[in-house]
Amino acid sequence: MKNLQQELLFEKLRYETRRHFLKQCTTGLGMMAMGSFLQSCGSTPQNTVASAANPLAPKMPHFAGKAKSVIYLHMAGAPSQLELFDYKPDLMKLDGKDCPPSFLEGKKFAFIRGVPQMMGPQAQFQQVGQSGAWVSDKMPYLQSVADDISFIKAMYTDQFNHAPAQLLLHTGSARLGRPSTGTWATYGLGSENQNLPGYMVLTSGGKNPDGGKALWGSGFLPSVYQGVQCRNQGEPVLYISDPAGMSRDLRKSTIDAITEINKESYEEFHDPETLARISQYEMAFRMQTTVPEVMDITKEPAYIHEMYGTQLGKESFANNCLLARKLVEQGVRFVQLFDWGWDSHGGGSEDSDVANGLTKKCSTVDKAITALIQDLKQRGLLDETLIVWGAEFGRTPMAENREGKAAAFKGRDHHTEAFTVWMAGGGIKGGYSHGETDPVGYVGIKDRTSVFDLQATIMHCLGFNHEEFTYPFQGRNFRLTDTSGKVIRSVIA
Amino acid sequence: MIVLQTNASSDWAIFLGHFHPVVVHLPIGMLVMAAILEWFSRRKNLQTLQPAVAPILFTGSLTAVLSCIFGYLLSSSGEYNEDTLFWHQWLGIAVAVISLLVWYLKVYWQHIATMKKVYLPTLYIMVAFITITGHLGGNMTHGEDYLYANTPEPFRSMFGLPKRTATGSATRKIENIDEALVYQDIIAPVMEQKCWSCHNANKIKGELRMDQQDLLLKGGKHGAIIKANDPANSELIKRLLLPEEDEHHMPPKGKTPLTEQEIALLHWWIQQGAPFDKKVSQLKPDEKVKPLLTSLSSGNNAQENGESISAVFKESVSAANEEDIQKLRALNVVIMPVANGQHFLQANFVNAPNFDDAQINLLNNLSEQIIWLKLGRTKITDRSMVVVAKCKHLTHLHLEHTAITDAGLAQLQELQYLEYLNLFDTKVTDSGIQSLAKLKSLKNIYCWKSKVTKTGIQALKKALPHVEIHTGWEETTQVSTKE
Repeated sequence: MKNLQQELLFEKLRYETRRHFLKQCTTGLGMMAMGSFLQSCGSTPQNTVASAANPLAPKMPHFAGKAKSVIYLHMAGAPSQLELFDYKPDLMKLDGKDCPPSFLEGKKFAFIRGVPQMMGPQAQFQQVGQSGAWVSDKMPYLQSVADDISFIKAMYTDQFNHAPAQLLLHTGSARLGRPSTGTWATYGLGSENQNLPGYMVLTSGGKNPDGGKALWGSGFLPSVYQGVQCRNQGEPVLYISDPAGMSRDLRKSTIDAITEINKESYEEFHDPETLARISQYEMAFRMQTTVPEVMDITKEPAYIHEMYGTQLGKESFANNCLLARKLVEQGVRFVQLFDWGWDSHGGGSEDSDVANGLTKKCSTVDKAITALIQDLKQRGLLDETLIVWGAEFGRTPMAENREGKAAAFKGRDHHTEAFTVWMAGGGIKGGYSHGETDPVGYVGIKDRTSVFDLQATIMHCLGFNHEEFTYPFQGRNFRLTDTSGKVIRSVIA
Repeated sequence: MIVLQTNASSDWAIFLGHFHPVVVHLPIGMLVMAAILEWFSRRKNLQTLQPAVAPILFTGSLTAVLSCIFGYLLSSSGEYNEDTLFWHQWLGIAVAVISLLVWYLKVYWQHIATMKKVYLPTLYIMVAFITITGHLGGNMTHGEDYLYANTPEPFRSMFGLPKRTATGSATRKIENIDEALVYQDIIAPVMEQKCWSCHNANKIKGELRMDQQDLLLKGGKHGAIIKANDPANSELIKRLLLPEEDEHHMPPKGKTPLTEQEIALLHWWIQQGAPFDKKVSQLKPDEKVKPLLTSLSSGNNAQENGESISAVFKESVSAANEEDIQKLRALNVVIMPVANGQHFLQANFVNAPNFDDAQINLLNNLSEQIIWLKLGRTKITDRSMVVVAKCKHLTHLHLEHTAITDAGLAQLQELQYLEYLNLFDTKVTDSGIQSLAKLKSLKNIYCWKSKVTKTGIQALKKALPHVEIHTGWEETTQVSTKE
């Protein structure tokens, strides 16, 4: 009986022609068109619908934020907080002893199995600056600028694998599909320099972060707000320079001709998207001259190269730091640096341990980060540029014992319950420390700070109330911090 | 723990007493209205209002009597300054009595000529009494200086009131933290800001006064609030640490709570025996308190747990003319309000590197509104400073990489809100920055790659001790020796 019914339905559909379909659709399609028509007639609240003519035009925040730009330094792989900023002398006393069962009951780790042993800090610590912040000898340069930094020491997350943890940190969700922090910032504030992209991404360390391009993706926001990833060697942006034989004049007349056609099209159909297209062509034309100029660090004086420790012609984090400064100086809104290779498991080679390996890795970023802070400061830019340093999670106070066997070198596993992130510059206090972990650095015991709190604080520095900064999608309003997040008031200057 | 009052009659008294502020505005409104109607109805075309006066007077005086009763019950809590209370109470009763009299005069004695003459003056005396009584009442609830605390300029200086501070913070920078007196310089300012408004000579909530040392130690109606050396059992600390929703939490809901740092300082002070005459160096600072103490002396106010916001935002300006803004936009200048709903403008010339002295006049009509002006890397010279100087609300001024010299800088002496001045890569010299000595709001001056020297910086620091003058990173040598 059921089969008969299905067959009937099928036969009926077979006789439905395209003509029938279109006829039946009149109401459906008509209503859809009506819907979009009505929407464009209605009064649209500020900051929810971007201006069609120029989506990157500068826009106003909720209140006057202190930071105009953000430089986010992400150490992909997650360096150990216990060797850098979270000094735990008591952990040394437990070095080599079995981990107490209370740390393991009901917990899941990425690689630790059975009962691991505790491992003391593999670095010398000292209190530096007037603020007396603890910074280890792995970051000797950074010690000199500790008074410009607010450390957030009891960060926690709920993802113990790199990719989801990075996604959670940058997009507010461990799954794909949400806009990144930089996208929200550019969407909300636009870009001041109309000849450069508003959101740029620079990578180093030999690999892209595990979370991939989604970490700077635009999610459900218009794709014009996604991060523009620059290549780390050779031409930073592909196809930006004219091909051989193409003169600037010829290019200009091409663009002019296209604009002419687009204008005719606009006059006929009045589609605002056409105007957007016109402005994008023109911006691309302007970018052809600005981008190579701004992205060229070779023209910087020698002492600046010395200060950052750049390596010309190579892929390097120091080059990217210098580039970040140049971009911010030109009014780029959000610059994100990813440096790969901080995953100190202690297996394989010595380079992956938290003792010598981490020291080596730190030496490739320490000087450059310090130079970035100082260079921004001497140019008067640190005041309006927020610098965030951190990773997707922290590392365990226990030594790693993959598959129950002790690691070859001194390694630590991924740890979600405690890690350190620091902020400096625009709107942030200097020489301050927020939050505290227990005596072995296993879990935050005071002022625990979630990744949403961090996102809320970044938004606050830019002048946004993260709870009101929303975008309607699939029937509800979405925001970066989704349903949680509290601004870390005590680090705000 | 907290002892609760069990005396039932007293509970009732306080309960009804709390209705005093609810009822008290009725007689104020009604009796004043009666006076206004009486005055209006003298005019011929408004004579029809006349019959309304008597009933309004009557209900007004009834509510005045009721207010007196509730007020008396409220005063039995003993939380108020006795002097002010005395006058408020008796003037209040006077208002009630006079209003009844006025009503009687109005209704029954209008035919007696002498009484008719007395009516109007009595009515006006009643209004005067209401005004004074109301003011005294307001002083008792909100504090003595509530009414005029936010007087704007120029009336402020006219009445000789002190200048407002930008953050409204009572904590002040301490020059030498070791020599600072723990109570006077650290603890008292916290209490002054967060406790004294309800526990002072005028308003003695919970029979507790905290503004004087002996009374602070004596405690309130539940006994002492400070147990020297035992902060955990001191009522003061206990109340501060209660969850904010708890009805016994201090300061009560709606008032600014103490920051964690402030609580830590109070805790430490009590732990050290709550002394009133000891210096910081005479007490043992623990690990937790040390950084807080250093931050007090560095002026980097860790106690202040809020954002520092420029005083300029307390000024109000009208919205800028859209045409003037569009003229600048046509030159690729990024110009817009600093935030939604703000009339203050930010202007960034990053896309207009050819902007010059000829075009600067376009800022003339926007000089009230512009507070952030980024003229760096443009072609302006000293001649533009005449116009920039007119932007009296400026907080941030970028002049880096421009042809500005000392002569231009000398014109900027009236920018009283200026916090940030970028002179990086300019020809400014030592004598140029001396002309900034009057700009008391300045926090940061950037003069890397200018002709400013250490001597010039030291001279300016004498006039502006809190300003930070950045001359580029010199720390390199210090850091690179570490390698």
